[in-house]
Amino acid sequence: MIARLIAALALLLAAPLAAHQQKIAISILSHNERTGMLEVVHQVPLHDAEHALRALGVRQADIINDTESRRAFARYVADRFELAAGGAQVRLALLGSEIEGGGLYIYQEAPSPGRGAVLTVRSLILTDIWARQENRVNFGDGTEVETLIFRAGDPARAGVLP
Amino acid sequence: MAMVHPCKRARHVCKPCIIVAGLFHRSRAQPCSIFLKDKPLRLIAFLAALLLASPTFAQGIEQTKGDFEDKFRQLDEVLPTPNVYRNASGAPGHEYWQQKADYRITATLDEDARRLTATATITYTNNSPDTLPWIWLQLDQNIFKSDSMSELTNTFGGPGRRGPAVSAASGGEPAQLSLEELRRQQAMEDNTYGYDINRVTSGGRALDHTIVGTLMRVDLARALRPGQSITFTIDYAYNVVEENVIFARSGYEHFPDDPREGGNDIFLFAQWFPRLVAYSDYEGWHNKEFLGRGEFTLEFGNYDVSMTVPDDHIVSSTGVLANPTAVLTGAQRQRLAQARNADSPMFIVTPQEAAANEATGPTGTKTWRFTADNVRDFAWASSRKFIWDAQGHRQPGAENPVVMAMSFWPKEGGDLWRKYSTAAVVHTMKVYSRFSFDYPYPTAQSVNGPVGGMEYPMITFNGPRTILQDDGTRTYSESEKVFLVGVVIHEIGHIYFPMTVNSDERQWTWMDEGINSFLDSVAGYEWDPDMPWTRSLPRDLIPYMTSQNQVPIMTQSDSVLNLGPNAYGKPSAAYHILRDTIIGRERFDFALREYARRWKFKRPTPSDFFRTIEEASGTDLDWFWRGWFYTTDHVDIALDSIYKLRLDTKNPDIDLARRRQELRDEPEKVGVRLNREQNVPIWVLENPGITDFYDENDQFTVTPKDRKSYESFLEGLEPWERRVFDRAVEEDKNYYVLSFSNKGGLVMPIILGMTFADGTSERMMIPAEVWRRNPHHVSKLLVFDKGKELAEVVVDPDWETADADIENNYYPRRIIDSRIEAFKRPDPTSRTGRDLMAEVLVRDEEDEGSQ
Repeated sequence: MIARLIAALALLLAAPLAAHQQKIAISILSHNERTGMLEVVHQVPLHDAEHALRALGVRQADIINDTESRRAFARYVADRFELAAGGAQVRLALLGSEIEGGGLYIYQEAPSPGRGAVLTVRSLILTDIWARQENRVNFGDGTEVETLIFRAGDPARAGVLP
Repeated sequence: MAMVHPCKRARHVCKPCIIVAGLFHRSRAQPCSIFLKDKPLRLIAFLAALLLASPTFAQGIEQTKGDFEDKFRQLDEVLPTPNVYRNASGAPGHEYWQQKADYRITATLDEDARRLTATATITYTNNSPDTLPWIWLQLDQNIFKSDSMSELTNTFGGPGRRGPAVSAASGGEPAQLSLEELRRQQAMEDNTYGYDINRVTSGGRALDHTIVGTLMRVDLARALRPGQSITFTIDYAYNVVEENVIFARSGYEHFPDDPREGGNDIFLFAQWFPRLVAYSDYEGWHNKEFLGRGEFTLEFGNYDVSMTVPDDHIVSSTGVLANPTAVLTGAQRQRLAQARNADSPMFIVTPQEAAANEATGPTGTKTWRFTADNVRDFAWASSRKFIWDAQGHRQPGAENPVVMAMSFWPKEGGDLWRKYSTAAVVHTMKVYSRFSFDYPYPTAQSVNGPVGGMEYPMITFNGPRTILQDDGTRTYSESEKVFLVGVVIHEIGHIYFPMTVNSDERQWTWMDEGINSFLDSVAGYEWDPDMPWTRSLPRDLIPYMTSQNQVPIMTQSDSVLNLGPNAYGKPSAAYHILRDTIIGRERFDFALREYARRWKFKRPTPSDFFRTIEEASGTDLDWFWRGWFYTTDHVDIALDSIYKLRLDTKNPDIDLARRRQELRDEPEKVGVRLNREQNVPIWVLENPGITDFYDENDQFTVTPKDRKSYESFLEGLEPWERRVFDRAVEEDKNYYVLSFSNKGGLVMPIILGMTFADGTSERMMIPAEVWRRNPHHVSKLLVFDKGKELAEVVVDPDWETADADIENNYYPRRIIDSRIEAFKRPDPTSRTGRDLMAEVLVRDEEDEGSQ
């Protein structure tokens, strides 16, 4: 058993040296009745995003003013957020991102499976970079919210789309 | 539908009732008479309430029947009992005391071995009323021992882990380690970290001492009685950790690519000497192991510190340089004197001088000596890489009328530091002093090294840097600039809280971080309101506050699940709400200044803070502290309905005409309309000659009986009732009953933005106390003059209370764009508060195939 675990160890990315990141990302999943879409909004602190980009090899990371930096990070977030419904992957379209205050918002959407659908989610955003990264996934964007919390190594879990 | 039925006495058949005209909610209109039916129910409810009332206890009060929740229960049973040391108003009591610890330290840095050897002579004064048989010291460097509690309890993954990234195995995926984690393990294996306590003596006699993790008990030869002092000496040494490897709050950073053979280091020394454990009136000795997150609880004292370092090093330190002629050149001393009166930062060590310095090596050592009075800690930095600038900050009338704002950075800091570090230090003092007191020390320093952001008295460590380009220039992103200015403001701000207002960081991170995050956002918006500062406004905290699996703010530092939003953002948002919404700026600022003034150079607890803000502002805030700091509720107040009401005149000639008009205003019955459209014959129309009284008079025709009843009603009124009634009929005001529900749990003021049919608007705030008897549902009557008719009402129109659901804030309801819908609009206007807009949006159409 021990030998198997040792054999299964793998390496993570090199993390940036600069500290003081907040190391929290919050993703909100909601069903939009008007559009029939499943909307996904990821909120990542601006500094976390930029420092993470450097860890990902973008040397001239500039989240605010460089579109390529923003796109690179948006793609990274989209890749690190896994979503499935009924055993099939939900293919989320990456809509883009914007900055509000000190936060970077990344938007995705897909045709909604409807209220009450069971969604399996796994948020790996930045868990490959910082040990303390905590990803909260809120099912619902109002008062009634179900939250799943993901840290490095956590498996996918299911929630109900309200 | 009536608001209040005044039928108190039998001789009154019916007092004025108010009926609904039904502008907003016709379907809820009810006849006045329903209240006669309601009366027994009300009585039952009242009796039930009496029966349910249960005796209260000082502790463990519990509502064991029904679901009533007293959101306004006073905190007396939760807060510690006031005493002579901390009084009931939140001020230091008349017998307040605190210990004093003075240090004289001589330290020598062995740069090559990266080892510090020192002797600390400590004079500890027992100002407590207690006799102390021993004293405890903090050996913080012991956290880096391989068998420390911190090391042994650091989980593989999991919440709050400090250190490099790791990932547990999951499903078919293997466990993962980062190279940094392996490097850390190797460094821990190859080096011996933690204190070597070589000797503890007093008066030449060895003192027994017992090391317990990061704590050390020193047994005294004779118990220390109240008012007595003891002086003892500790010889110690430790190997300095590499900050970027071990993830400490201090240590060295190596620059292997510097021109000097072997490279150079920046050394940051913090938690570098045995520090007295706090002994307080509320906890005795604060024996809480240092686990890495819960920071420090310390005693004030005077320091005299001599540090011997390579003679080409520049030292930045807590305190004032006591031997400038021994360590600075004449030119440097002259520049310092000029900088004292300068209006902008001046170089003390220029970039060119630093470049030359870091290219060569030392010829020996120099001893720098710094003294600092009345500080709770002492830190310093040393390197031959440092560029150094300074500017005098003037605060006339203060104890320190000129404060030397200074920055120390390597070339890697570049123009980012030259332009903004010292400027941000000065800006911080200007803003923070308005909210507290004059900056209390003679120096305020910002040092660039391997630590992202950390604070000590008069000195802070700040991490942001530039990026070296291929052409040799250095650039920085806007985000990094915001980060630098923000972190300098934040860390210099910590010199006020908690370095001067000495709250207990080990227990309550939020006490200093909350106030400091609040004030750094105030200072940030006074620097440049358009910069994307960190998120600590109420609206920023909504996703976190609505999420589950949080802990209350009132949670010990090491147990908080997510420190950023919990200890920084949420309390900061709470203070913004107190300042701008609940208390008001003038009284909140006064109260915060009073808290700072009362506890300057003293040790406040949460209850002292809560009580002081309440008392100084004249506002009962127990409900606010209870909700925001002791629970994990969030804010969501819904405006469920609005009834428009109109006073019945009881005059049948007026009221029945109104009823007739109301009936006419109703939609035509569908069946009647369809009959007409299909030309279905109507009997009365086909037989016009056959009529009677009822064809000529409808149900609203006024009869003599109606008029007699009206006259009886008027005669039954007392004179004062008649005056009130006549005036009300004449004024014919608009009455609205607004019904609210509290869906989030937190009781908050109800802020209303009201738009009227005439296009005017008004704003009003209903204090949170409206929820005191029913925290779930309340109704409120609003009265406006005749002709002033409500068209729309919105709760919290300026998004100032962290209300989680905007859609239920509007009446009538309106469609609220989701973030994504708003994002998609070419000219987004549906939301406010966005600092940067869509000019750099990622519309990744070419990427859609892969998504």
